[in-house]
Amino acid sequence: MTTLQSRIQEYLQSKLPEARDVTVANLHRIPGGASRETWSVDAAWRDNGREVSEGLIFRRDPDASVLTTDRDHEYRVVHAVYGRVPVPRTFWSEPDGANLDRPFFVMSRIDGCETNPTRVLMDPRFFANRDRIAREFTDALARIHSLDWRSLGLDFLGVPEDLGACALAEIQRWEQVIDADSLEPQPVLRGAFRWLRNHLPPPAQRITLVHADYRTGNFLCTPEGEIKGILDWEMAHLGDPLEDVAWACIRPWRWLGNELISGLMERPDFYRAYQEMSGLRVDEDAIRFYEVLGNIKLAAIFVTGARSFSDGRTRNPMMAFLGRNIRRLELEVLDLIGV
Amino acid sequence: MRPGTLESLRGVQAAIADAILPELQAVYAQDVASMSQMLLESIASEWDSLAEDLHGDSLRVRDLLAGALDSLGPFAGGNETIAGIVRQIEELSGSPGAPSLRISDLAAENDRLRGLLERLIVVLEDLQPDPRYGALMGLRSAIYGHLRRVAAGGWSFWDMASFRERMAALKSDISR
Repeated sequence: MTTLQSRIQEYLQSKLPEARDVTVANLHRIPGGASRETWSVDAAWRDNGREVSEGLIFRRDPDASVLTTDRDHEYRVVHAVYGRVPVPRTFWSEPDGANLDRPFFVMSRIDGCETNPTRVLMDPRFFANRDRIAREFTDALARIHSLDWRSLGLDFLGVPEDLGACALAEIQRWEQVIDADSLEPQPVLRGAFRWLRNHLPPPAQRITLVHADYRTGNFLCTPEGEIKGILDWEMAHLGDPLEDVAWACIRPWRWLGNELISGLMERPDFYRAYQEMSGLRVDEDAIRFYEVLGNIKLAAIFVTGARSFSDGRTRNPMMAFLGRNIRRLELEVLDLIGV
Repeated sequence: MRPGTLESLRGVQAAIADAILPELQAVYAQDVASMSQMLLESIASEWDSLAEDLHGDSLRVRDLLAGALDSLGPFAGGNETIAGIVRQIEELSGSPGAPSLRISDLAAENDRLRGLLERLIVVLEDLQPDPRYGALMGLRSAIYGHLRRVAAGGWSFWDMASFRERMAALKSDISR
């Protein structure tokens, strides 16, 4: 048994004092998720003589990340929306490193699903159900945007001052990331930030929970096309729901290399379905604004990863690799701005 | 010296693919190895042309900044922001270029020039909505045109995925 596996076993025993014969097996790290380490284990124990087994996911803070996010914030959002939108069940959040060296939280593993975009979009079993995946993708987004975030206690995320403040808050958030982490001049990104400030979208139609990384690659899907889990809530905040709609549309997530949104559907079909399901209007100017912002945001995330690598805080080659791939995002920004 | 840098990098890539990747059992380890392969590809693709690219970009940015002096000059009297950027361009125009052909020297010069270009494009973006500065928008277009050429250059893993049709269209435009 590895050291980490035995420590997880000790941790689970401490969290389940009534349980007997706690064991963990098949510990392995899941690729992806550049903001946090994701570990999977099979846990089993006896509870009043009854055999219990549970697949668990440990989301642990990394040594360095492509973005600095609050783990507890992600945990609380997933906990709050559980049962209302498809997400894993949350168990515990540990804010210090006493148990596993770094802070982490624990949630259920959803088995029988795929998250890798290549397989979700190209495996023949999933391909046959692409229409259903597209429908569920849109439906889950509309449901996120319909949540009553006040009654769910999500105002801790920070409530925008008013409907018109959402866009500016996001500009400021990501401009600060570039200010802090950029290793070299960024004329395209800096020019685009100014363009955004001069082309603010109409005020949000309402303030909603924004997932902020909603795309193919961040949901768990069965081969039959059922979406059973929306993942990666670390950037969730309150804001303009069209920010999520536009993020789902940006070219980096059009994985098939054509114009299909998130590799799933034509843009007009996405807009039409989203409007029907959410009751919100898709404003094309706002989408353009948020697509420019989305590409800049992704570039900013890569810049942070590059900074972590260059500062020696991580040796993960993904951080260096992503940092060297900002140019195409700049090209997309220039296309969208029309210069 | 042979094998040269590119030949050696390709050899390392082949060794990872043939001897290391097949032995890796953990999915995460396979992912790290694949990512390392792509990072090596990114390095290999820029190796031969890097000095030429940095030098060429710096020359073009110097040209753009020289053109900016002409364009901005008539507006500098009534606008302190423009006057300020004009002063910065004048200072940099008089400075020497890279002291050697070392990549670090070429990159440092390029960063200085692009840093000034960054400040200039921010000024132009702020002036863009004001019709009194319409005459400066040709400069804005020229700068973005150059930045677009740079952004479309080099190798990217996205060219085989999300940007596949976009890059094909771009190549088609260029060849026409």
